[in-house]
This record gives sequence, structure tokens and C-alpha cells, in this order.
Amino acid sequence: MEVGLDWTTVLIAALAYLSALFAIAHWADRREAAGHSVIASPTVFALSLGVYCTTWTFYGSVGRAATLGIGFLPVYLGPTLLMLLAPLVLRKILRIAKAQRITSIADFLASRYGHSPLLGGLVALTATVGVTPYIALQLKAVAVSFDALTGGGGLGPAEGPFLDHGFLIAAVMALFAIVFGARQIDAAEHHPGMVAAIALESLVKLIAFLAVGLFVVWGLHDGLESLFDAAAARPDLARLMGSDPALGHAPTGNGPVGNGPWGAWVTTTILSAAAMLCLPRQFQVMVIESVDERHLDRAVWLFPLYLLLINLFVLPVALSGLLSFGGRVDPDLFMVALPLSGGADWLALLAFLGGLSAAAGMIVVESVALSTMLCNDLVMPILLRTRSRALARSADLAPLLLAVRRIAIVAILLFGYGYFRLAGSAYALVSIGLISFTAVAQFAPALIGGLYWRGATRRGAIGGVTAGTLVWAYTLLLPSFARSGWLPASFIADGPWGVAALRPYALFGLEGWDSLAHSLFWTALANIGAYVGLSLFDRPGAAERAQAAAFVDVFQPAPNDAAPLREAPPDWRSAASVGDLTRVVARFLGPQRAERAFAGAEPDEPAGPERLRLAERLLAGAIGGASARVALASSVSAGAVEAAELLRMLDETSDVIAHSRELERKTAELERATDALRAANERLTELDRLKDDFLSTVTHELRTPLTSIRALSEILHDSPDLDTDQRQEFLAVIIKESERLTRLINQVLDMAKIEAGALDWRIETIDVGPALTEAVAATEALFLERGITLSLDIPDHLPAVRGDVDRVIQVVVNLLSNAAKFTPPGGRTRLETRLESGFLRVTVTDSGPGVAAKDRELVFDRFRQSGDTLTGKPAGTGLGLAIAKRIVEHLGGRIGVADAPAGPGPESGKGAAFWFTLPLAGNPADAPEFGERRE
Amino acid sequence: MNAPDRNPGRSPGRHRDRMIGLFLLAAALFNPPLLGLFGVEGRVLGVPALYVWVFGLWAAVIALAALAGRTR
Repeated sequence: MEVGLDWTTVLIAALAYLSALFAIAHWADRREAAGHSVIASPTVFALSLGVYCTTWTFYGSVGRAATLGIGFLPVYLGPTLLMLLAPLVLRKILRIAKAQRITSIADFLASRYGHSPLLGGLVALTATVGVTPYIALQLKAVAVSFDALTGGGGLGPAEGPFLDHGFLIAAVMALFAIVFGARQIDAAEHHPGMVAAIALESLVKLIAFLAVGLFVVWGLHDGLESLFDAAAARPDLARLMGSDPALGHAPTGNGPVGNGPWGAWVTTTILSAAAMLCLPRQFQVMVIESVDERHLDRAVWLFPLYLLLINLFVLPVALSGLLSFGGRVDPDLFMVALPLSGGADWLALLAFLGGLSAAAGMIVVESVALSTMLCNDLVMPILLRTRSRALARSADLAPLLLAVRRIAIVAILLFGYGYFRLAGSAYALVSIGLISFTAVAQFAPALIGGLYWRGATRRGAIGGVTAGTLVWAYTLLLPSFARSGWLPASFIADGPWGVAALRPYALFGLEGWDSLAHSLFWTALANIGAYVGLSLFDRPGAAERAQAAAFVDVFQPAPNDAAPLREAPPDWRSAASVGDLTRVVARFLGPQRAERAFAGAEPDEPAGPERLRLAERLLAGAIGGASARVALASSVSAGAVEAAELLRMLDETSDVIAHSRELERKTAELERATDALRAANERLTELDRLKDDFLSTVTHELRTPLTSIRALSEILHDSPDLDTDQRQEFLAVIIKESERLTRLINQVLDMAKIEAGALDWRIETIDVGPALTEAVAATEALFLERGITLSLDIPDHLPAVRGDVDRVIQVVVNLLSNAAKFTPPGGRTRLETRLESGFLRVTVTDSGPGVAAKDRELVFDRFRQSGDTLTGKPAGTGLGLAIAKRIVEHLGGRIGVADAPAGPGPESGKGAAFWFTLPLAGNPADAPEFGERRE
Repeated sequence: MNAPDRNPGRSPGRHRDRMIGLFLLAAALFNPPLLGLFGVEGRVLGVPALYVWVFGLWAAVIALAALAGRTR
């Protein structure tokens, strides 16, 4: 590259651009303060997610495409897949983060697993170690592209007085991060200025990439077709247009699954999806900075669309660069080198600014996220434990917090810069992107598991992250050092101390795998294995279980937070006072916020669980969940209660909430049981009432004949001179009434026997004809007496049925006397039989008032009196039909009542037809023959 | 508290299920067996067929994701 821009021009442009970002961020902060948020937009949210695309995308994708063809894409397909799951996973994370006032991914994991400071610290440390080299990569990319643009040479950092652009960039980024990411301690941890700047940067790098792509395709070549034609003419380039470099041929049957490029493709997809969720900067913009979870709805498609657009021209640019430069220029620099060689200096500058945007966005957000994490989950817990006395004397700790964060930002960037200087163009830096992804992917099992698995425990999470990280360091980090020459090369080839089984790229002899796929397999095995295994054999405490429930059940309606806590155990009263809490909160969040939180309470008043929890939540928003608890404990310990005691109380408070949830569930169950009981009780009451009615009916029925017997007997006794005719008449009445009494008592006894199952049954094959005749004979007098015509339709040869003769007679007698009772004098009653399939049907039709449809079931009830509803006076015990029903059913038949069929005669339109069936004995095939003969 | 979920216009459960289905479809389409199968040689309007295929699929998935959020 002979041409180049003046370095001062480039530097001024870069500084002007960065100043513009400062201005935008400042403006957004001002608007936010004025109540007109610019980041409360789903589009801005989706664009801010574009911080995923770093210089690794902007410059590195072209480089990857130059060797892998389409193989650069899985890094963007993974996040696309994850966004499709956003309604399931991300929504839940967002809801939890809001409810728990989460400040970082370390805080999220620590809070989920019982506010564990150890886990939080571990995650913060792992993230820092894993991601800082990634920051170094950004610094390098900016420095190298600056050199390429100014003609300083495109291969690696050259030496020279102004060459330390890396340091300059790091310094400006640190300033930006401090000004917009760590300016104040905010309970919500929102940075509107930073988010606005990130969204703008996303736009700039997209426009820059598209502009370069369009220029390359239509400026340097005559459109896509001619570009691809030219590339197809070169066999080495034609390869890149097919699937071979990225996917290889379909694996032959004998190779392992992870073998070859297939493994790399799948691994990269999984890793990038995990990174989209677990990278500190992604968690920051996606979860912590999110102002409204509904913004996800648009991000679900807008962010993948962004990824698609920024990757649209990657392959054309790579092919064009390879065509133009051959091997003379590092493919990572094609984005700048191609416009430059085409004479479009302004476009090269735009490309450089696009790359600068990508780097700046990543560095700023990542350092802010990491510094928050380091401050809240590593430094503060340690300070609060070791220096609690000194801290207790300080009235306002906000400056200390800010100082810790700012120092952390500077330290992270210095660390990144140092790594960049030290590693230079070594392998360790080039491949650090995916190595970083693998590091943060170690959080994924604990993160996802913690959302859905209530039984996942703190020990499991710590064990999983530790095991995964150690395996990651052994299978990826150390080998990358070895390839950079910091460790002997034999470490990779022969394993440490020559132990072949421990070779980091072929652990335990697992050979032939892509190194990433190999590492992903072993880290996932160690991580998930330890996580699940330890969780299964762990017994978490009440507080940890409560936190687990709060995360897993976040979408279930929360119990009223305050209500179950009113009844505090007595030892609360001796605990912290409102004054204590106000002091603690004021020290971290400032006195105004503290005054507002505890307004209306006397300082001497005991704090109580509600206020203690409020303080914990407020503090958690500022310094993370784990630190918040320690801070509360350490500050109040100077007073009446011990720190341990206070922690225990906090645990109990969350326990109480879990219990009240449980209690609500049990209450609901109890209510259902109560309802069932009430229904049963109502039924019993009804039965009881029916029984009372029955008793009074029976007594009444018994008393009527008794009264007439007694009256007539007294007359006979007192009047010895009564004439004979009179005497005979009275005696006849007495006898008749006694018979009626006997019949009644027999019925009651029968019923009682049937109910008790004490009746003797003699079920045999019987001939129904004689039984019917007998029953008719027994009731004939009744009909004669009332002047009712009884007609019979009984064939001579009825088939035999199964039954008990006496009981069948009893049923027919009951039905006939029932008909006699209800048929008005002069009416008609008819007894007939008919054959049905396998049954003999006996019907008694009367011309009485009939039975209303609604009463048809009831007339067979034991205690029902059909007479009283129909005629107003009881006409029987109400037992006849009930007894008949029980007998018929015992014999295997059915009984019922229907309207009498219309027939001749004025009153035949009304009336009831009581019927019952009896099972035929023997072969029912005889039945039709008989039926026809009968008709 | 759960106000966003109670949006009467559309059912969150249905939307969620559709997105899960789309995820499964995309996960199958974007990965080797199918990708290798359809990533044939040849050119479409001068552009390599594999390239057209991947970006076309990707665009279709994005369009479906956008539609899934809108239609009932």
C-alpha cells in the first residue's frame, strides 16, 4: 500500500468522532434527566445489542471468510437462534433482573444461588480473565487499521513515536467509560448516555460496512456477477464459494461426530449463542440497561436483521481482497485496504471510523460491565468483611464505590493494553475471540439451569463454573500460550511431562477433533456434570431455596410482600433500628434517597423485616445482592445485634416469603376440601330431612287405621246394647283396618330387610303367568271396590324368567295397588306383558293423573310420597314403589314409568304406565318367535 | 405487575410457542446435515448458490419472527 492518509487527519477525524459520541451520550443523559428518554425505544434497544459486533466482526469476519468461506457465519447464526428463544428465556431473565435489582451477570448468578459472594466473585474473576484479552484484540485492531490507513504498514504493530494509538484509544475509552458508565451510583444501574452512544455506534459501523461493500462490488468490480466470475476462475478462491472449507464433505461413517469442520460449525454456533447471553457486555445492554421488557419483541427480529445486513458483503470483500492483493495484505485489513487502493480515501476513513465504533462500543460497555462486577461482587464483599470498622466510620460510601469502579475500569483497560503490547500478533491474540466465548459460556449452565431448575444449588453452581473454567484454561488458554511461544511447544504435541493422555488438544486420547469442539465437549462435561451432580446431592438452606423459588417462579403472582411479614418474631424488635438502616442506605445511596425510603418512621423505631428488606433491595441495586447483605450486617453489627444474627434474620425474611407462597397454595387446597365437605354435608342434611318426612308419614299412616280401630272398639266396648248388624259392620271395619296396618308394617319391615340385605332370595327359573294371576287375584278386591276395570293381556305360554316367585308377585301387587290407588273410580287399569331382547316386560297402565316428567325418577325414591304432591293427601307409605324398584334391580331387571299410550276412552289420554323387566331364563333366541305369535 | 403479559391483543403463550417452533426449524436448517445437503455448487444470478441459500433462509427466519409477533 503506497497510498495513505496523513496520520494527523486520521487522528483528528477519530478524535472528532469520539467527541461526537461524548456529546451524544451527554445529550442523552440530559434528555433522560429531563424526562424525555431517548433510549426508551425498541429500535434503540435492538441497535444497542449490536455491541455484539466488535472489530472481530468488522475486520475479523473478512479474515475468517478469506480462509473458511461461509464459515464466518455461525458466530452470527448462534445469536439469531438465541433471539428466537427470547420470549422464553430472555423475558424471564429480564423479569428476574428487575425484581431482584440485578447489576451484572455475576450478581445474577450470586443472587440466584443464595446470595453467594463466593460464586459472584468467581464469576467476576472468570469473566475478567476471559474477556480482557478480547479487549486487547480491539485495541490491536484499531492500532493496526490506523497504521494501514496512514501507510504505516499493515502487518502487525510497527514501531514509531505515534504508534501507541492503542494506548491513546485505551485512555479515551477509559475516560468515556468513567464519565458515562461510572459517574454516579444509581439504584437502577441505568446508563442512558452510554446506551444512546452504543446504538449510534452500531448504526455507524453498519453504514460503514455497507458503504465499503457497495464500493467494492460495484466500484472495484462490475457487480456481484463479475466479482464471483473472477473469483471462480481461481481454483483457490472458487473453493471459498462452496461449502467445503466450512463444512467439509459429509463425514464418512467411521469418523467421530466432532471430527472436521462439522464440529467447528456446530461448536461455534453453540458458543456464540451462549456468548450472546453470558458476555458481560451483552448481559449489560440486554438485561441491565433494558428499560422495558416489551422492547424484546422488536429486538427478536431487528437484531438478527442487523446481523444479516452487516454480514452481507463479507464474502465479496474477502474475495475482492484476495483477488487484488493476493497474500500481500492481511485479510483482516481488507476493509481499509480495498477502498484505499481504489482511491477512495474518504471511504477508507469511514471504514476506519466504523472499526473504531466497533472497538469503542465493545471496550466501553465491557469495561463498565466488568468494573460493576468487580466492584460489587469481588472488591466490596472483601472490603466489607475485612475493613468493616473503617467503613463503618464513613458516612457516605458512594465516593468509595465510584472510586473502586473507576479504578477497575482503568485497571481493566491497562490490563488489556498490556496484553496487547505483550502478545502483539501472537496466536493468543488472534484466536482470543472464540476462546473468550468459551470462557463465558461456562456461566450458561448455571444461568439457564437456575431459571428452570429449582433444585440447582450454590455448591453445584460453584462446582460447575470452577470445573468448566479449569478445563477451559487447560484445553484452550494454556495451549494458546504454548502456540504463542510462552510455553514449550511440546506441551501441545506430547502433553505435560510427556504424558500423552494429558495433551490439551487431545485430552484422554480424544483425537482428531477441532480444538474448540474438543474444549467445548470437555468443559461442558465437567461443568454440567459438576453442576448437576453436586446439586443433586446438596441440601440447600431455607434462604437459598427461597431465592431459587423467587427466580424459577418469577412469573407466578407474588404474594403480597408486606402482608405475611407483619407478624415478626419477637427477636426482630431487639434488632436494627430505622436509624441504623437509614445510615447504611445513606452511606451508599446518599442521604436524600435514604430519607425518602424511611420517611415517616422514628429513628429509634425497630426496623422490622419489611424495612430491612427494603434496605436490602435498595442496596442490592447499587452494590449487588451479595454485598448488600454483608453491608447491612456489618453496619448494624456495631449496634445491638451481631452480624451473623442479622444475616440469619434476612434469610428468615426471605424464608417467610417462600413460606407464605407455600401457605397460599395450601389455603387454596383447603378451600377446595371445604367445598367438597360442604356439598357432602348438604346431601346428608337433605337425606335427614327426607327421613324425618318419611317417619312422620309412616306414623301418620299407622295412626289413621289405629284411630278408627280404637274408636270402633271403644264404641263396641261401651255400648253392649248395639244391634247385631251395627256390631258386625264395626267389626268388619276393624278387621279391614287391622289388615291395612299389618300390610303397612310388613312393607316397612320388607324395606328395612332389603336395605340391610337381610332378605332371603330364592332365585330360580319361574313361570311368570301364574305369578301374575296370583297378584291379580290378590288385588282384584281393590279394583272391584273402587269400580275400576282391570283388563289383562297375558299370553298363555310365557317363557320362563329368572326370579323369585314371591318377590315378583310382590312387585306386581305393589304396582297394581298403586294403580288402584290413583285411578279414579270408573277408570281402567291394564296389565300386559311384552317380550324384549332377552327380557320380559310387564306393564301396568292406569288412567289416573299420570306422573309428571320431573317426578319420574323421584317416585321410586324410598321416602317419596307421590300421593302428597298429586292429591294433597298421603295415599300410601311411599314404600311400595321403592320396594318394587329394589326387588327388580336385584333380579337383574329395570323399572320405570312412562305416559300411558293414547287409547280409546275419554280419560285414556292421561295416566301412567309403570313397567318393569325380568331377564329371560335359558336361550333368548326363542323370544322373537314368541313375540310374533303373541301379536 | 404482570401487565405486559395481559395485553389483550395477543396471546403470549401462542407467540412463545411459535417462536420455539421457529427456533427448532432454524436450528435444523442452519446446521450441517441440511446445510451441506442444500449447499450445492452452482450460481444464482452470479452469486454462489450456498451463499444465496444461507442468506435467504436467514432472511426468511427473520421475517417469520417478525410476523409471529404481529399476527394472532
